[in-house]
Amino acid sequence: MSRRAPKGEYIETDTGNKVARKAILVGTQNITLGGKTVIQPEVMIRGDLSRSSASSGGSGSGNNTAISIGRYCFFSRGCCLRPPGRFYKGHFTHLPLRMGDHVFVGQNSVVQAATIGSHVHIGEGVVIGEMATIKDYTRILDGTVVPPYMTIPSFSIVAGRPARVIGEVPEGGHEAFELRELYKTVGNNVQPAPA
Amino acid sequence: MAPLSPYTYIQCPCSDAPSQARPSETPTRDIAADQDDDDRTFDPRAPRSNYSLYPLEYLLYCEDCHQIRCPRCVAEEIVTYYCPSCLFEVPSSNLKSEGNRCTRSCFQCPVCIGPLQVTSLETPPDPNLLAADNTSSGPSGPYILACAYCHWSSIEIGIKFDKPNGIYSQLQKLRNGGQTRLTAKERKDRRKEAMSTGSFASTHPSNPGSDDVLDVESQFENLRTFYSHQLSESTSAAPGLSMSDLGISSPSSLARLMNYYNVGSLDPSKKGLGNSRGRARLGTFREALDTEEGLQLAQLDESASISAFKASTLSDLTTTSQRLSQAESHLSNLVSPALHGSSRLTSTLRPIPVLLRTKRSKRCPVCRHIISKPEPKVASTRFRIRLVAGSYIPAVSIRPLRVPGVTPPPPPDGLLRPLVPAQYLLTFTNPLFEPVKVTLATPSTTPGRFASKVTVLCPQFEIDANTDVWDEALKSGSSETSRRRDEGSKAGGVAEVGKIWERGRNWVSIVVEVVPALIKTEGGEELKEDEDVLEIPMFIRIEWEADATGAEVGAAPGTGKEVREKRELAYWSALGIGRIGSLGQLG
Repeated sequence: MSRRAPKGEYIETDTGNKVARKAILVGTQNITLGGKTVIQPEVMIRGDLSRSSASSGGSGSGNNTAISIGRYCFFSRGCCLRPPGRFYKGHFTHLPLRMGDHVFVGQNSVVQAATIGSHVHIGEGVVIGEMATIKDYTRILDGTVVPPYMTIPSFSIVAGRPARVIGEVPEGGHEAFELRELYKTVGNNVQPAPA
Repeated sequence: MAPLSPYTYIQCPCSDAPSQARPSETPTRDIAADQDDDDRTFDPRAPRSNYSLYPLEYLLYCEDCHQIRCPRCVAEEIVTYYCPSCLFEVPSSNLKSEGNRCTRSCFQCPVCIGPLQVTSLETPPDPNLLAADNTSSGPSGPYILACAYCHWSSIEIGIKFDKPNGIYSQLQKLRNGGQTRLTAKERKDRRKEAMSTGSFASTHPSNPGSDDVLDVESQFENLRTFYSHQLSESTSAAPGLSMSDLGISSPSSLARLMNYYNVGSLDPSKKGLGNSRGRARLGTFREALDTEEGLQLAQLDESASISAFKASTLSDLTTTSQRLSQAESHLSNLVSPALHGSSRLTSTLRPIPVLLRTKRSKRCPVCRHIISKPEPKVASTRFRIRLVAGSYIPAVSIRPLRVPGVTPPPPPDGLLRPLVPAQYLLTFTNPLFEPVKVTLATPSTTPGRFASKVTVLCPQFEIDANTDVWDEALKSGSSETSRRRDEGSKAGGVAEVGKIWERGRNWVSIVVEVVPALIKTEGGEELKEDEDVLEIPMFIRIEWEADATGAEVGAAPGTGKEVREKRELAYWSALGIGRIGSLGQLG
C-alpha cells in the first residue's frame, strides 16, 4: 500500500493522535487535539495566530487556544488550518478555530473558518474563508471557495466559486462521514486493509 | 477520457408501473404479456432508467410494505422552515404573510450570490487617541451591505442604512440611489395633504401621466383596493346580490366581474339581454383611472435607458444569471419603474434576501407510514425516524481483482481493454442481524449497441449475519477455523466457478468476469454520451428469516415461541465497472 510509510513516520500520542513528523505545527501550546486525530505530512496548523494578548493586556494569558480539534479528524497532506482574524475595537486580532469530531480536510485545502461542526467532509483544494461557520453533516466538494462569513447549514452539499448549496445529504449518507475506519489505515504499523 | 470510478445504482420499484398500485389491471393482461414481462431484463441505458436509479444512500425502506422507496416516490411533508444563513426558524404563519425569504438581515450579493455582511462605514477610530472613551461604544452608522467575496457593496447602488439590524424592512423603504420609497399609507397621507393645500389639479384623474411612478407592488395593492371597493359598491347597489362581504378572490365574484366586462360584448345574440342588464349597472362599475386606483401608463419612451446603455461599459450590464436571481426572488421592491421585470444595469440590482430552507419528513407513498422524520429544531441533526435502505439491503462495492503474478498490471489510463477478459470483485456487505441468501442474475451480454459479455462466477451464496463486533472479537479463536474452511477460492489465487472468492464477518466477495466489447463506430457516427461505459444490469434477490412483525405476533398471542417469517426482496441494480478504451488508444 502506498499509504504505508517507513517506520516512525508518525508520532502516536497517548490519546491516539497520529501526527506526522513532517507536519508543520506552529504554536503547539495553542493547539488542542481531542484524540484519534490524524495529521499527515506537510500539513500546517497555525497555533501561533492566537488572540493577540497585547490588546486585552494579560487577560488572554489564561485560555489562549487558537485551534481546537475534536476526535477522529483527518487532515490530508498539504492542507492548512489558520485561525480567522479580523478587526475588533480597532485592533486586528485572531479568533479561535473550533472543529468538531469526524472532520475530514482534503489535500491542499485552506481552512480559516470560525466554527466547523461534526461530520464534515472538506474536499481537495477547498478554500474556506475567514469566520465561516459550517454546521454538521456537510460535504464541501473539491475546489469550492467558501466566502468569508458564510454560514452553511447542516446536511448541505456545497460547491462552486463562490460556494452555494447544491444539494442535500440524503438520509442514508450519514454513516459515510464516519472516519473511524480511515483512522486505522494510517500510522506507523497499520493492519493491511482487507484485500 | 477520464477513468470512471465503479458505482452501484439501485432501481426503485416505483418505476415499474404495473407492479405498483394498479392490481385491478393485472388479470386483464394476457399471458403473453406476462411472459414478456418476466423475460424482460432491465436496461440501465433506457432513457427512463435515469429517473429510477439511485445510489444506496438515497434510498429509504418502508418496514410495513417491505419495499425500497426512492426520493421520487416518497411523499414529503415540511416540518420546519428556517433561514440557512442566520439559522432562525420561521413560523409557517409568517411564511404566508412575508413570503419565502428571510426577513431579518440575511442577503446575498446580487453580483456573485455570496453572503452580504452588514458593515459600518465609519472608519475604526485611532486606538491611540480614543482608546479610553471608545471601548464602550461599538461602531456606529451609517451601515452598508458588503460582499466579502467580490467586494460589491450597497454603496454601488446608493443605499446606506441607519441601523445594523432589520435590514430587510429598511431596504424595503429605500430605492436604489437612496430615495425613500413610500408605502401605500404614506402615499395616501401625502395625497390628502396635497388635496387640502389645493394642488388638486396634479392628482386629477384627467392627467394620470403627471403622477409619480409606482413600483409593481404598490400598483398591485392600489388595483386590488380599487377593484374590491368597486365590487362591494356594485353589489350593494344590486338588490339581488347582497353578499357584499364576498372577497375579490371568491370565484363567484370573479364570475360577476366577468359579467360586467361582457356588457359591451360584440356578440349580437346576447346584445338585448346584455344591454338591459348593463344599463342598470353601467354607471356602477368603471376602470381604474389614476395612479391611486392602480392605473399605470406604460413607459414606452426608452430613450433614457438607451442613453444609459450608451454610457455604460460591459461590466455595468447584468448577466443572465444575475437577472434570473433577481427575478426569482420576485423582489417587490425591485426597481422603479419596473423594467419589464428585468434589471439591465448593475446599478438597478438589489440585494437578494436569502431563500428559506426546510426540514422535511418522508412518508411511504403506499401505506402512508412515516419513513423519515427529522427533529423539528433547526440546530438538531437527529432524526426521530430514519429507515434507510442501507440498513436493510446489502451494500455492493466493486473492485478490480488483482492477484499478484496472475493478473497483468492494469493499464495506466484506467480504461478497460476491449475483448480482453477482466475480473472484478463484488463485495456484498450484509447490514441485517440475520444471515441472508443472495441470488444474482445478469444477462449474458450487456444491453445497448456494444454488448460486453458478463459472467458471474458465483451467482448464489449466503452472507453471515451482521453480529456485534464484540461477539466476533470474543470468540475469534473458535471462528477462525470455521472461516478458514470456508475461505473460498482466494487461497488458490484463481477464481473458480461456483465458489465465492472470500468471506468475512458479514461480507462475501465474489468474482465477475467481463469481456468488454469493441467500441467501433461506423461511418463517422458519433458515440452517444457514456456509451463506452461498461454497465451491468444485475438482478439481486435476497432472502432471510426475520422475527415476525408486530401484527402477526398480535394475531397469535400466548403461543410463547418465537415466530419467524421468511422475507424476500428483489430488485434490479446497475453496476458501473469502467470505461472501455479503444484498440488504437491502447496500441
